Amino acid sequence: MKTIYVLAEHRQQRLRDTTWDALAAGRDLAQKTGAELACLLLGSGVDAMADQLAKECPKVIVVDDPRLANFNSEPFVKALSGLLAGRDSYVLVIGNSNSIIDLAPGLSVALDAALATDCIGFEVDGGKLKALRQIYSYKINALVSFKDATRIVATLRSGFFSFAPSGAGPGAIEKVASPLGDEPLRKRFLSYVEAEKGDVDIASADIIVAIGRGIGDEEDLSMFESLADAMGGVVACSRPIVDKGLLPKYRQVGTSGVEVKPKVYLALGISGAFQHLGGIKGNPLIVAVNKDPRAPIFRAAQYGIVGNLADVVPALEEKIKELKG
Amino acid sequence: MDIIVCVKRVPDTSETDLAIDKGGKDIQKGDLDYDINDWDRFAVEEAVLIKEKAGGKVTMVTVGDEDAEEMLREGLARGADEAFLLSDESFEGSDGYVTASILAAFLKQRSYDLVLTGTLADDDCGGQLGGMLAAMLGVPVATLVHKVDVKDGTVAVTRELEAGLSETLDIDLPAVVSVATGINEPRFVSIRAVRKVASIEIPTVDREELGLDEAAVGSAGAKVEIETVFLPPEGEGAEIIAGSPVDAAVRLAEILKEKGGIA
Amino acid sequence: MTLLEPADVPLAGIPAPIVAAIILLVAIAIFSYVMLRRIQLLRAVLPDPRLSEIGRRIWLALVYGFGQARQPRYLGAGIMHILLFAGFVILSLRSLTLIGRGFSSTFHLPLMGGGVGFVYDVFKDYVVLVVLVVCIVAIVRRAVFKPTRYQHTGNSEGHGAEAYVILGMVSALMITDLIYDGSAMAVRGHTFSPALFPAATLGAALMGNANESSLRVLHVAGYWAHILVFFTLLNYLPISKHFHVITAIPNVFFAKLNKGSIKPVRWGVDDWMELEECGAGRFEQFTWKHVLDFYSCADCGRCSDNCPASTVGRALSPRMISIKARDYAYEHYPVFGANKDPGDKPFTGNIVTEQEIWACTTCGACEQECPIFIEYIDKIVDMRRYLVEQGEMPASLQKPLQQIKKKGNAYGATKTKRAEWTKALEGVQVKELQQGDATDTLFFVDSCGSFDPRIQEISKSFARILNRSGVEFGILGKDETDSGNEIRRLGEEGLFEQVSSKNIEAFRARAFREIVAFDPHAFNVIRNDYPVKFPVTHASQMLARFLEQGKITLKGDYLAGRLVTYHDPCYLGRHNGVYDEPRAVLGRIPGMRLREMHRSFTRSFCCSGGGPLLWYENEEEKERMGERRVKMAAEIGAQVIVTACPFCLINLEDAVKTTGNEGKIEVIDMVELVDRYLA
Repeated sequence: MKTIYVLAEHRQQRLRDTTWDALAAGRDLAQKTGAELACLLLGSGVDAMADQLAKECPKVIVVDDPRLANFNSEPFVKALSGLLAGRDSYVLVIGNSNSIIDLAPGLSVALDAALATDCIGFEVDGGKLKALRQIYSYKINALVSFKDATRIVATLRSGFFSFAPSGAGPGAIEKVASPLGDEPLRKRFLSYVEAEKGDVDIASADIIVAIGRGIGDEEDLSMFESLADAMGGVVACSRPIVDKGLLPKYRQVGTSGVEVKPKVYLALGISGAFQHLGGIKGNPLIVAVNKDPRAPIFRAAQYGIVGNLADVVPALEEKIKELKG
Repeated sequence: MDIIVCVKRVPDTSETDLAIDKGGKDIQKGDLDYDINDWDRFAVEEAVLIKEKAGGKVTMVTVGDEDAEEMLREGLARGADEAFLLSDESFEGSDGYVTASILAAFLKQRSYDLVLTGTLADDDCGGQLGGMLAAMLGVPVATLVHKVDVKDGTVAVTRELEAGLSETLDIDLPAVVSVATGINEPRFVSIRAVRKVASIEIPTVDREELGLDEAAVGSAGAKVEIETVFLPPEGEGAEIIAGSPVDAAVRLAEILKEKGGIA
Repeated sequence: MTLLEPADVPLAGIPAPIVAAIILLVAIAIFSYVMLRRIQLLRAVLPDPRLSEIGRRIWLALVYGFGQARQPRYLGAGIMHILLFAGFVILSLRSLTLIGRGFSSTFHLPLMGGGVGFVYDVFKDYVVLVVLVVCIVAIVRRAVFKPTRYQHTGNSEGHGAEAYVILGMVSALMITDLIYDGSAMAVRGHTFSPALFPAATLGAALMGNANESSLRVLHVAGYWAHILVFFTLLNYLPISKHFHVITAIPNVFFAKLNKGSIKPVRWGVDDWMELEECGAGRFEQFTWKHVLDFYSCADCGRCSDNCPASTVGRALSPRMISIKARDYAYEHYPVFGANKDPGDKPFTGNIVTEQEIWACTTCGACEQECPIFIEYIDKIVDMRRYLVEQGEMPASLQKPLQQIKKKGNAYGATKTKRAEWTKALEGVQVKELQQGDATDTLFFVDSCGSFDPRIQEISKSFARILNRSGVEFGILGKDETDSGNEIRRLGEEGLFEQVSSKNIEAFRARAFREIVAFDPHAFNVIRNDYPVKFPVTHASQMLARFLEQGKITLKGDYLAGRLVTYHDPCYLGRHNGVYDEPRAVLGRIPGMRLREMHRSFTRSFCCSGGGPLLWYENEEEKERMGERRVKMAAEIGAQVIVTACPFCLINLEDAVKTTGNEGKIEVIDMVELVDRYLA
């Protein structure tokens, strides 16, 4: 492999966290394969972001085009294909997100590259890249290889590659003319649609009490609300609770919900599916209470209780109130 | 509005314990139940809903073997008008890319306004089909769509981003749309409904009829191979607080107090 | 001064008999025409064979129709109704006589002349008073005390007035009779003791101050008023809720005899899968007996008053289904004018909503209560069959049904593991019968007993008891499939046929004397719905038998003096009449202190349902049925609830927790209880 490219993802002039995950993976791969590392930044008026990237990456290739202002897979695929045309022996690493799901598969066909999505790890074996992904309801790990492919696109699951600023920069910023032609787009971005904000923004909460499917048929959430009150935190939940209509979407933590950065996260009756955990950023103290000792949450948590919520929660609240004095 | 829906037959792995098979490259499937990929079921329902509103025809297609007929028949009972099975021995070992090319070959032989499919399949969890198919057909794509509004010559879609945020897009037809779960509430398909469509023929189409080379399909044409599969390692995990639920709760409260969990 | 009788007094110059004849003919003509239209509708809908077991039907009509045997279940209203009904029957002779008196003043019915007629006249005079008093009490009760079960939910107003119309007309009949007889008595003088003719005496006293010519006018006027009210009342019946006066006894005669079973998709059609339409979507897809039910509903509200779904706030009110259906029938098949086409808004889903239809647990309380044997369960199932045809099925039920389709059980467990529970059973070898095996008793475990960890305890208890009894028994193991009781009642007939034929095939491949199940749902469906009959017993019946025969004996003190109550499961009690054997079993437990709940035997209150219904989520209900039931047990101070159905057990145990009774009330299955006392 000659080059490891990292595609930067941004929205409304801010680089998204997925970019740093991808850069961490890119660095790792570049080191293991001895390949060059370069960031790809496509957008409109992206100088500031280019500078940010250059601090961490030896080379940043920029395409600045007003048509790339908002993410849209059609112009982005065209631009990337134009950009990488004629280049060979590379791995294009992209941090996965709902926008990238729209981009990567089509891009891999346009580049005639092999594709592995949602990877949680990489191996380099005899100069060949192997990717680790999850299959069968995300319950089985699979190591995949790419035969003799010289062009590979890989998207990465966030949270599996930790980025540390290297401060090695600044790297070189190379501006490339936009490969986009004049043809009208057949796919047109219209607007963002915000979900209702609601009365609480769990994204800014330091202490979170999250409930999941393990609360069973219980529809009265007052037990959890009073626990959250006692702790000085807010109530959040996983997707099944929103599906049941018990809490609004703005309380859902997860990759399709809200990203939270608390200090303490109490997971009650939550199995620990990665889509939920993916919404927890930073390195909070995670405590889990679940009936099932084999629930994946116990791998992510630092402390756990195996037991019934109905038994644990009231006692927990009582002791907390006592400790508060 | 002619719609083609691409569906996949997958084993139900969500609630059962899985074990690795002898070869080490797949799981043991003997005890598993198979059904249509949940995401694809939403796609078939969406196609039928669009047809019911705008008129037209719904065609189902899958790459599989004769076991897939049951799934196709359920789709016909749901309201699809016709179904095709793309089957050939040489398709064995296909990866996501090859499957997309087989379906693309089928689609290229037909006319359609819209192609629907589920964004993700629960067996490979790849999420590749929609995008690859669109690129091979040279049409636009939108994935993780949870609202579809078909107009004259275009389709307006809303797709999921995160944190409750969505984006709306306007797309020229023909196009590929892959849907998110929850886009609709699939109707119940009773056994009688399936019996009523029992006599509808489901033609099988083989590799030759699709005009594909042997080298382009199956494990020969695949770009990605599975080297090995294994169960995720248990990991260090949490320190489990022992004792009765009440005792454990008390101890937990103390830990929370220590670690700043009580504001 | 002689009194001129009505037959001798011309009206506006026309001789009275002519007037009488005209009134009679016009009234009969109108009545016949209306009845003809009503009967035409019965013939336009689907067939329904109701002439089996004529002897039993006659007995039902006598005991429940004429005998009004269900009326006293609501004692006050029941007695009033019995009096009104008896009065109606007795006074019919009087009214016929009076009609004749319009033609000839000496008319009397055959055999009613002379002494017999006199005795009758005395008797009827008392009856007139009684009926009048009952009518007044009924009007006051309705208007002032407003019993809740007469209130109409939803938007079907206007029917309340009908009760007053009828009570008013009956009162008018009594009062005009009083006037007619009283005026005669006042003119002729009191030749008989008031004790013989109290009504006439009362009438005479009320008209006491009138002069003779006024009395003569009152006598004739009272007569014609009576005649007019009578024929108005007669013609009012088939256009109001009082149609039951005519249709009630036939309705009982044509009642459904085989309780616990569900009607086939269409009578007389074997290959129902080939039918164009399935279930009752359009009104015309009900059967004639169902339409007769709609005609017959007296709007008394007893069904809804006992409906557990209604009680907890679900959308269902059985009586409203009958009322709405009858309104629909009267509107779309009017007496005058052309039939109306409902267009593209079929009856099911529009007049009766989906929420109502899915809210029913098929507990049978409504059918048990109805004094005239109106059926509801078959109609609900037919409407569900239609909804399923349209792809409608509550979201919470779709997954369990799909699991049953694929894996033969709602839990999603692999069928090869059906006999796993036997491995945890110490000391007892449970034989898994292979094809071709023979045994004495086939223990049908059903899905809950095989896979639900709580219910597996009951399976183990029962296996221990069977083992101790010395009876040779075995289970089907992996050849067993869900029994299908709820599947059929949810309208998925195709899936019901699939599971029942698998079980029947498994039964046929083995030899046994009888099947036993502790699940009343399995017991019910195998006994009443399976197309091939096998001898099947419920565990409570078998235990009662074992105890009587001394095959098992009981000792111990598990209950330790706690007060026990027994909850009658719907599918054991109401649907199959098994009330005594469970109590006989409980009676044999040493130290048993048993107290019945207010709602017991035929009035038992559903726990909210079994089989896939365990997964059903209802949005409207204000509390769970199980919670309501536990509160009933707490009300009588019960510390232990014994039940004989695994689903009742699950629902009631959950409810004990959510009502805060954990530790105060224990729920235990009868089989488990006997196991605790097994000597």
